[in-house]
Amino acid sequence: MYLIGEFREKEAVAAAIRALRALGVSPADFDLFSEEPVELPRSVLDRPSRMSAVSVGGAILFGALATAFIWWTQQNYRLVTGGMPVFSFWATGVITYEMTMLGAIVATFGWFLWESGLIRKRDRTKPVPEIHPGSMCLRVRCRDGETAQAADTLRRTGAIEVLHRGEA
Amino acid sequence: MATTPELLPYHQIREDLFRPLSRVSRAYMLVTVIAFIVGAAGLVAWGFQLRRGMGVTGLQRPVFWGIYIVDFVFWIGISHAGTLISAILRLTDAAWRKPVTRAAEAITVFALMIGGMFPIIHLGRAWFFYWLLPYPNSRLLWPNFRSPLLWDLTAIVTYVTASAIYLYLPLIPDMAQLVEHNTPWRRRFYRALSLGWTGSDHEWRSLERAMKLMACIILAVAVSVHTVVAWDFAMAVAPMWHSTIFGPYFVAGAIFSGIAALILALVIIRKVLHLEFYLTRHHFDRLAKLLLLMSLLWFYFTIAENLTVWYGNQPGEMAVFGARTRAHYAPYFWTMMFLNFVVPFALLSIRRLRGIATATFASVCVLIGMWIERFVIVVPTLSNPRLPAASSFYTPTWIELAITAATFAAMAMLYMIFAKLFPIIAVWEFKPHPQEED
Repeated sequence: MYLIGEFREKEAVAAAIRALRALGVSPADFDLFSEEPVELPRSVLDRPSRMSAVSVGGAILFGALATAFIWWTQQNYRLVTGGMPVFSFWATGVITYEMTMLGAIVATFGWFLWESGLIRKRDRTKPVPEIHPGSMCLRVRCRDGETAQAADTLRRTGAIEVLHRGEA
Repeated sequence: MATTPELLPYHQIREDLFRPLSRVSRAYMLVTVIAFIVGAAGLVAWGFQLRRGMGVTGLQRPVFWGIYIVDFVFWIGISHAGTLISAILRLTDAAWRKPVTRAAEAITVFALMIGGMFPIIHLGRAWFFYWLLPYPNSRLLWPNFRSPLLWDLTAIVTYVTASAIYLYLPLIPDMAQLVEHNTPWRRRFYRALSLGWTGSDHEWRSLERAMKLMACIILAVAVSVHTVVAWDFAMAVAPMWHSTIFGPYFVAGAIFSGIAALILALVIIRKVLHLEFYLTRHHFDRLAKLLLLMSLLWFYFTIAENLTVWYGNQPGEMAVFGARTRAHYAPYFWTMMFLNFVVPFALLSIRRLRGIATATFASVCVLIGMWIERFVIVVPTLSNPRLPAASSFYTPTWIELAITAATFAAMAMLYMIFAKLFPIIAVWEFKPHPQEED
């Protein structure tokens, strides 16, 4: 079962999340919907991310692949270099650099799409609340028997409306 | 009474900023049609050049780089308006950036698209441009990765990709809102592009993280792109090109012209889309100060570059220096100095004079001045090679001028179309700023 509490103030949302977590609701069971980003105090609804690591990983991968590809093509078709090295990192460093950056960009964008859930298959059983201008909706997944207490907590902490939706 | 847009109700902001998408005024149609005609004339000119060959241009020995390369450097410079300025302001959490960033990011993408066309136009045989790409071919020949031309290709491809993503990311929440109230085709269009955005905290946090990371990456890319463009010249052992400061000189010039383009675009948007309440004197004042700062920086680099050449007194370099400052190209050089330094300094350094009108006038002067600056860098060096007997002059033909004019028209047209499809100011970014709340 899902509960959807509509709030006007972000302080009330933070209070509701704290109170529900004290009741044993896990952070993974919360989703906050809004028309604009809501900045909650630290540790209220933290969402750890690996985006920076993925970005660095993408950069290293593309940079390494670009360097390897340049090295291979220089060996594959040897230009006359007049005694200079066939492969020179400094002379091709710009391409390695740009490809490294491209790797970081592609990895960041790809991870954003994945992490945000925009390109993942959606769970259609999860209700998506309609957000009214200026309001925020907190969606909470509750186990049987906890619903009444959770709904009461939402109302007590400042929800202007609490809706019951779907099956857990 | 509300004095800043942030204090308006959110639905009011949304209504104000989405309204321009649904109306097409007569002035809008007129500008679009004129831009289309000028753009079409440029296409005809290019078609003529493709059919007759490069002989129809003013390019001839020893000047093989003319207006096309000037345009290329100019437009790549303009592209720094957006992403770089937007990224800097985003990373420094400058609250006043909110109405400015998307307009700037759009300039970047369109300027890069236009700038990226010029190496292809300049090739002559444009249909062979794919030879720059590394692909297995029957001759087993790979592109020369040591060539600055290939550096350009990779740098521009990276920058276009980054800029397009950087423009697209903050558009997603706005497009999700636009799905609700629109005509059927627009609904389908926005739904497809917004990827089913719901506004959950997972999505918002990922978006904000991605925007911060992208801002950091794009700064590094933007600086490298114009440095690479500068190295197209500096890597050649040609008089007044082979300079160690060309990289930063070009980057400073690019940001300078980028800010001017941004001010001009914002003035037009403000007037045409009636966004006077959102793009205030305050925003133009900040941008004008940035323009003034970059004008001083540009002047410093120009003096440093020319003074060292004059003091060194090398015959090859002095021939170019003389052509620029005293002979055939002197009118261009001194006009450039006047437009890029004297006008902005006189108009923007005095607080009483600094306003929207003066900032606009200074921006137009800077854009003209920076185009001339590119011309002064490219042409006199090639006109005065180390062999004095080979000296010559370059005069562009109507073909080159028509193609150049078409690029400006293309920029106007792309921008007008963009402003009708997407909100030119990021609506969701009008959330109260954390520092302001504190």
